[in-house]
Amino acid sequence: MDPTQAGMVAIGAGIAVGLCGIGAGMGEQAIGAAAVGAMAEDEKFFGKGLLMTVIPESIAIFGLVVALILLFVF
Amino acid sequence: MLKPTRMTKVVIAGTKDQMEPAISVFHRLNVLHITDFSKETEDFKIGRPLKTASKFSEYLLSLRAISNQLELKESESGKITKSIELSSDIDEKITKLQKEVSSRFDELRNIEFKLKEKEDLMSSVKPFFGLPLSLDSYTGYESVKVFMGYIDIDLESKINKIHSNFELFMGEHEKRKIFALFIPKEFEREVQDLLQEERTYVELKVPPLKGNPPIILDELKKEISNLKENSSSLETELDKLKEEYSEFIIAADEHLSIETQKSEAPLRFATSPNAFIIDGWVPSNKFDEIEMELQKSTGGKVYLTKIAPEIDEKEIPIELENPVAAKPFELLINTFATPKYKEIDPSLFLFVTYPLFYALMLGDVGYGLIVTAIGFFIIRKFKTGGLNALALILLISGLLSTVFGVIYGEFFGFPIFNLEFKGEFEAGILGIAGPAIAGIHLPVHRFESVKPLLLLCFGIGIFHVILGYIIGFRNQVIMHDLKHAIYTKGSWMMILIGGVMAIAKIMPALMSKSPMPTGDPILILGSGLFFIGVIILIIGEGFISLLELPTLLSNILSYSRILAIGLSSAGIALAVNKMAMNLMIKPDGVLMGGGIVLALAGIVVLFIGHVINLLLGILGPGLHSLRLQYVEFFTKFYEGGGTKYLPFGHNRKYTEE
Repeated sequence: MDPTQAGMVAIGAGIAVGLCGIGAGMGEQAIGAAAVGAMAEDEKFFGKGLLMTVIPESIAIFGLVVALILLFVF
Repeated sequence: MLKPTRMTKVVIAGTKDQMEPAISVFHRLNVLHITDFSKETEDFKIGRPLKTASKFSEYLLSLRAISNQLELKESESGKITKSIELSSDIDEKITKLQKEVSSRFDELRNIEFKLKEKEDLMSSVKPFFGLPLSLDSYTGYESVKVFMGYIDIDLESKINKIHSNFELFMGEHEKRKIFALFIPKEFEREVQDLLQEERTYVELKVPPLKGNPPIILDELKKEISNLKENSSSLETELDKLKEEYSEFIIAADEHLSIETQKSEAPLRFATSPNAFIIDGWVPSNKFDEIEMELQKSTGGKVYLTKIAPEIDEKEIPIELENPVAAKPFELLINTFATPKYKEIDPSLFLFVTYPLFYALMLGDVGYGLIVTAIGFFIIRKFKTGGLNALALILLISGLLSTVFGVIYGEFFGFPIFNLEFKGEFEAGILGIAGPAIAGIHLPVHRFESVKPLLLLCFGIGIFHVILGYIIGFRNQVIMHDLKHAIYTKGSWMMILIGGVMAIAKIMPALMSKSPMPTGDPILILGSGLFFIGVIILIIGEGFISLLELPTLLSNILSYSRILAIGLSSAGIALAVNKMAMNLMIKPDGVLMGGGIVLALAGIVVLFIGHVINLLLGILGPGLHSLRLQYVEFFTKFYEGGGTKYLPFGHNRKYTEE
């Protein structure tokens, strides 16, 4: 891999993680706020609230996996 | 283990005169989970509290008020008092104590109020120091109006314009000009208008006192010091009372709480004019003991019987039962939801997988030892409760992290063993090459072996999720039937196993851009399994369930976080070390080559960096390991929604029967 290519791969990995992180964050903010609200009403909602809150997180994980594959596997 | 404690539904019945002894027995045994009686009929009503209830709660109320006033903290007593000793003179003692404490406390309040008043007076007298008049000369005139205040202009000339018949005193207080103006009442209006237009004017009120300000001030000071003396002597008296009675108050609080609890218990029973009935649950293995105790204490006048549990499963109280080591993990289960009676209690699985995930993420000898020490310290400090359980989890996780630290060969990010990283030789702390254990050559450097570790994470994920489906399958068989289990869990297992087999063959081919191994038996078998699974799923749950298929993929991929968080933690440690080393050994590898200041800066960077990374290292792996349990694992089988087992009774700390 020549240096330009390696640089491109690194930038690609960065974009994958970064954008996915932003996306996941945007998804999580609304759910997180609602979950905290529900928990304030009834603490039993902790488990369910956490479950709902982390659902968008898989998007971040997808980005991460892509980045890892780009950086280390190719 | 794996299942909640077996429970037996019982009914207790007896005549009303036996109610009190029966309550005592059950309270002492602390095993009966009472089902509240709520549906009143013509014959049976909700019971009334025992006669003693109002008396006890009244005492409790005054006792708590006293303990509040004395600012008593719970853990200040270590003595255990006999319950009988307490009950003999508890009313006298409380009344006496209340008198002594309340009277002093009220007096103290009174003094504080007076102090405040005097201090206010003092600050309102002070400005008049600047004027040469006694305080009573400012008031009590019929035809003269007095104005007083702060002002910052030449007042005399302005007043002169209004009228020449006036007297003006000027002075200073705290570098501000102060004045007192005496003028006939007919000019009041004009002077007022003049002053109101002046921005620097601030009105002053004369305090309702007589005499010269300095003398008044002295008197006030004397009064205040007297009051302060009084209050401090009262406080010492209260402290003495607190010291003397703290043990009694704490023990009596517990005793009265217990007695109140006992005397209010009938509110949960069904009673007729002459009899009472209690519905409830007891652990099955304790039934005989309870029967015997009840027989002994009531002379067989209270009847206890088992009832075949043909009831709603939700009603059965849940008490988790696990070996000592797995006990702390019940906290994580209960935080999520209490399991149902027939469900598997996954504490034991958590005991294995939670620390494993944690250690795979943290994996550093230095951090691992510190986490272990923190856990150990908290356990020493808190012997029971949630914090203790949490600390035990931390301790186990920290120990395992140390083990994985050896495997990864990391000590605060420094290599333990010699290694070759990106073609460069790096000497380890021990200065030796890593040993080979079971064919794996240590250290497994995380930056060097991303690919195998990533595959390992996916492998762990697949195993973990399949384990979840197996437990789910078992739960479905127990709660519904085999057919239902195959539709809802079996299908997913087939999809997962088949999918993994197929992808294991397809991915390498895709990556190496070689033709698909279409004839490979594993690929064929895997795809077959996958499609059969999908078909069963559609039959069982409808087409809509296809939407869930990508979730399975994201579940497995989610386990890559184990590697990712580990890499980020190791990366931060590495970066901190590099920065610190550059500051400390500079230039050209000479120790303190850049001077002592740079070397000290290096030490600061090293310290702060590792503290931050350690905090992240406790929080990150802890939460993400938990998330893998809750989201990836629990969703495959866990329903929850059980009632927690809360036996009628009290864990005595400061009293005994």
